[in-house]
Amino acid sequence: MTPYALIYTAVLLGLFVLAGGGYGGFYSVGRLWSNTVLIRAGVACYLVAILLALAICLFTPLAALWKVVIVLSVLIYAAIPPVTWRYLAKLHRTPEESK
Amino acid sequence: MDIQDPGFWRAGAISTTAVMLVVLVFLTINSLRVIRAGGANVPEYDVINRQISYQYDWTRRMDVPVIGGQQLLFGKLYTEDEARALMEKGKLVIQSRACMDCHTFFGNGAYYAPDLTKAWLDPAWQQIWMPMTGAKTREEAMVMFLMHPERYPTWSREMPNLHLNQTEAQAVVAYLKWMSAVDTNGFPANFGHTQSQQ
Amino acid sequence: MYRSQKLAVRYFVAAVTLFGVMTIAGLLSALYYLHPSLLFNVFNFNMAKIFHIDTLIIWLLMGFMGAVYWFLPQELGREVEGIWLAEILFYVFCAVVAVVSVVFIFVQYGSSNEFSLWFINQGRKYVEAPRWAAIGIVIVVLTFVYNVVATCFKARRMTGILWVLVLDLIPLTLLYLDAFPALTNMSKDLYWWWWLVHMWVEGTWEVLIGCIMAWALMDVMGTSRRIVETWLYIEVMLVLGAGILGIGHHYFWIGTPQYWLSIGGFFSALEPLPLLGMVVHAIYDAGAHHMKTNNRPAFYWILAEAFGNFIGAGVFGFMMTLPQINLFSHGTQWTVSHGHFAFWGAYACGVIAVLYLAKQKISGVEFLDGRAWKWGFGLLNFGMIGMVGGLLIAGIAQAFYERAIGGSTMMAYMAGQENPWFVSGMYARMGFGLIFAAGYIVLVYDLLSSGKRAPKAVVKSQTT
Repeated sequence: MTPYALIYTAVLLGLFVLAGGGYGGFYSVGRLWSNTVLIRAGVACYLVAILLALAICLFTPLAALWKVVIVLSVLIYAAIPPVTWRYLAKLHRTPEESK
Repeated sequence: MDIQDPGFWRAGAISTTAVMLVVLVFLTINSLRVIRAGGANVPEYDVINRQISYQYDWTRRMDVPVIGGQQLLFGKLYTEDEARALMEKGKLVIQSRACMDCHTFFGNGAYYAPDLTKAWLDPAWQQIWMPMTGAKTREEAMVMFLMHPERYPTWSREMPNLHLNQTEAQAVVAYLKWMSAVDTNGFPANFGHTQSQQ
Repeated sequence: MYRSQKLAVRYFVAAVTLFGVMTIAGLLSALYYLHPSLLFNVFNFNMAKIFHIDTLIIWLLMGFMGAVYWFLPQELGREVEGIWLAEILFYVFCAVVAVVSVVFIFVQYGSSNEFSLWFINQGRKYVEAPRWAAIGIVIVVLTFVYNVVATCFKARRMTGILWVLVLDLIPLTLLYLDAFPALTNMSKDLYWWWWLVHMWVEGTWEVLIGCIMAWALMDVMGTSRRIVETWLYIEVMLVLGAGILGIGHHYFWIGTPQYWLSIGGFFSALEPLPLLGMVVHAIYDAGAHHMKTNNRPAFYWILAEAFGNFIGAGVFGFMMTLPQINLFSHGTQWTVSHGHFAFWGAYACGVIAVLYLAKQKISGVEFLDGRAWKWGFGLLNFGMIGMVGGLLIAGIAQAFYERAIGGSTMMAYMAGQENPWFVSGMYARMGFGLIFAAGYIVLVYDLLSSGKRAPKAVVKSQTT
């Protein structure tokens, strides 16, 4: 790995997770306030995450197995915010026992 | 299987933790075998009687320690027991002076001073400290530096005098020699070789 | 208030005091980088660093213990069993910390013998305190565990949160036993040392803060028990599922087998995923109660916990966890930036939330708000983000110039430390560290000031 490859690979990896976080954050707040702009912003972050994953796969010297991990991660990231949100909503809708 | 039932997730937490712990135990048993002195990755303490170098291995694609022929340390050949006693002393010095709170060992510790994983192999001893101290061997230069670092400064961030006596300084040097022979999966990379920025 | 809650307040006071010591020691440690001759051979960097990292561990531990002593009697509706013993041991704990500190300041280190390890300095990171003190800490923690278990026993009931807590405290206590050995073989020493450090801060402490946050959510946002418990189990499953073998990200370079590169890197790469779930959960919880809370500072510190944890541990960790990157970033200021942000987000924010919770109850204020807490919140978080930003720049410069280009020799190290990017990072860290310290002062002022200063008569519109 060249010195420059070290830097841009690490930065891409960090931005990748950050984009995933942006997706989770914007999507959740958007669902909370029923704000489609924010939900779209979340989806846009997810698209950025996909692009970053693509960049990691195409331009970084990581071994093939790690690139597979990145691809699997980006697929899992897609599910986390909506699945978590749906699950929490269901959990809250069920009659709650007293404390 | 009701995923809204806490019991489902409780079972999930217990089983996941249990499985991971079992795997960790197995890996630990194997790892301890590999890292004991004399194991696959960690040499016996009397490696201090041998020459040690760090060379690129094309099959593993990383730098690995290479143990060569006999090389006396402090002009002496140490028995296994003497070497072990020296290592025990060296580690006690390192702990008692809290070296790990300025330096790193295998990259672990504090970052105010250089990493000491391959300190034994550092070219600075031959290039800088042997001329400065007038020592005839690398280990003598190291001992002189450790005992009186204030006499041989090379930088604005100086090594403090931790009042090491000769025995302690020699033990530390021997310890560093042994440590440089540990197979660390290539850490630090490119040791001693500079690279172009591209 | 229960006696246990009064003890909790004492633990909180001690925790906040040590938070202050940690901050001062941190500023001092940062200053050495800019003025290396500072206190040279009088009080060197290693001693300042020992104060900084050891008080970090102890203030957080005291915060956790205080939180448990606070919530436990509420949880079971009865006084904590053996509380008289815990009250005595609190003072023992403080005395131990004080004596160790005095020895660290005035004696600092000893000769290379067992006496030094027993009475002066053990020199192993985070657990430098001499063995006699470690024994003291074991006694304090064992008493704490006894308090929890015996209270559950006497109450003849358990809750889900308590089951998780009790089962977590057992390994937490046992792991501390690694504070004692002085193994000659550095590889072996570090192998077990990481069982203590990683399995604390990326294992048992995660579960412990999860339990505390579960109680805090019930208190601050009125979330139901069923929901917090369900979430707690999910959290334990995911965090330990990734974190147990995630210990492997500390086993890349210490002499351990090569398979740890794959195993450690893979499980470590999974660690951000549950943290993303926690961010979603925090936002959901905030909204599910229409941002209604009667304790705004606690609420915002809980949110800070979720976001700080994700970014500090998740984003910053992921940047450097793959072995090909870590080979160059390991043991640089990059690590420091990740460590600061992760500890802050994962633990400090959560403990501060509990402090505000306790403050509200003690002052009897129905609706806790005000201006000071916002300044404290802003300065501390802004200061922290600035510090880790500076450290990140310095760390990247170090990985680039010292490691990747320079070949990691001593001369390469020195050149890296003198690099303008590195030096700028150190100055930035110092500046933002001062901002953080200012935030600490405001936090203490706000915690100590009477709750009546909050506009309790005016129930503001509770939507943001």
